[in-house]
Amino acid sequence: MNLKFIGTFTWYYGFRSIPRGPSYIISSIMYPLVFLFLITIFSAGKFIDYAVVGGFISIIGMNAIYSSSDIAFQRLQLKTQDLFVATSISSTDYMLAMAFSYLATSTPGIAVYAVIGLLLGLFTALNALALVVLLLLVLFGITSISFLVSGMIKHVRNVWGIAGILGVLLTVLPPVFYPYTILPKPLLYVFMISPVTPAAVLAQAAFGLGPFAPYAIAVLLVEIVVYTAIAKYTNHWREK
Amino acid sequence: MIEVRALEKRYSDGNYALRKVSFRLDKRVTAIIGRNGAGKTTLMRILSTQLEQTSGKATIDGYDTLKDADKVRRIVVSIPQEASPIGYLTPMEHLKMYLVARGIPLAEAAKRSVKALKTLEMADAADTPTDMLSGGMKRKVFVAMALASDADMVFLDEPTTGLDPLSRFEVWSAIKELKGRIILTTHYMEEAAELAEDVIMMEAGKIMQRGTVEQLLDKFKGMVRAETNDSRRSHSFSVGNTYIKYIRIGESEKYVKQGYSIKKITLDDLFISRGVAIES
Repeated sequence: MNLKFIGTFTWYYGFRSIPRGPSYIISSIMYPLVFLFLITIFSAGKFIDYAVVGGFISIIGMNAIYSSSDIAFQRLQLKTQDLFVATSISSTDYMLAMAFSYLATSTPGIAVYAVIGLLLGLFTALNALALVVLLLLVLFGITSISFLVSGMIKHVRNVWGIAGILGVLLTVLPPVFYPYTILPKPLLYVFMISPVTPAAVLAQAAFGLGPFAPYAIAVLLVEIVVYTAIAKYTNHWREK
Repeated sequence: MIEVRALEKRYSDGNYALRKVSFRLDKRVTAIIGRNGAGKTTLMRILSTQLEQTSGKATIDGYDTLKDADKVRRIVVSIPQEASPIGYLTPMEHLKMYLVARGIPLAEAAKRSVKALKTLEMADAADTPTDMLSGGMKRKVFVAMALASDADMVFLDEPTTGLDPLSRFEVWSAIKELKGRIILTTHYMEEAAELAEDVIMMEAGKIMQRGTVEQLLDKFKGMVRAETNDSRRSHSFSVGNTYIKYIRIGESEKYVKQGYSIKKITLDDLFISRGVAIES
């Protein structure tokens, strides 16, 4: 693993993009903030804690799923991926570099939510730690899905549309902004296909917002392993 | 040295991009010329380990591009066709990122980047986001990557496609600064003439002709191109509604009277004649 490459790429592609492309960062915060606003208004403040905890997961999930459009754009249009194939880095290095870059672009949003969470007195050392771990797992899981999807995109025209659809399906519909317990069980199990769902279930439990569901840990870990393996072995790193 | 034996690439739709191509390259600069779809990019992508062949073998300095891809990747730099820099990153950042990907330590990468950008007269643009640079400068960012990498072998796939003449000239000057062996594809004949010692002409996945520019043009010695738009006139080749015949220089006057216009032979005539032997 080329950690220096992952670090350098993350620094330039992730952090440097923040001051140079602030609109992207603002748009990635907009969705969760709008949901936070609407949920707070419609629930008369009752679900605000869900919306804040879910906001963290949503920012990471959305940024990671939108990376599919960037990954596909870089492969199809900029040819960045081809450039890197003929170097010493592997597809895993590239995937991790992308994942951490999107973590970097998520930091302003995370900071905003951290401030809101602190103001609401939501955090303890334990739930904060649990949230960090869950966010990292969501990042890796969704980035793997992004790689998988981006490899299937053949035309640049479809790049943003597909990311938009997946963004809603994988990060908005799951019980991120509302209690997972109100979902009918079969629907909850369907939503489990997105790593965001088990992460949200576990986050709600960690913050005392819902019952602990141990099976969600297994689901999340299995999904990370499976999605990463599929992404690694089916991606178009060296084409056949 | 590059050695290619019976290299074949067949896609899942049954189309062949390369058909049993064999050659050996040992010159410093080789140009692979051919029309779109001739198989140039496929060949370059296989040689630079970005694409796997269906059959046949390719070796670079003795290393198999399939079995020893990691070793090949240490030798080669490959600049893909129509590669574009990431708009909000600067040339300096691109170079450092690329050199680190090649395993060069960051401090050394920074030093080499400064030197390469200076050599290519890009020092003033080193910290400018690339989406603010001209087309020629954007391409030079990739040539600078190759230069800074100090690679033994550089593959440049259509390095000047779409550039205006001045930008193309800028990129040519940059390419001339590269130290290692260069294999470039182009469909600009004057580019091959300007840069390459050895020219390979491809058509429909096969090698049609090979040699120096002079050798390739030898069959046109003492000849000119007679063109007309009248399809009823005698002609050997046609491109769109232009009908072409190769004639002896001494016959020019006769053909002008018949309504032909006479043009000097250029490397474009290799494309027009598509490797067919010319008979006056």
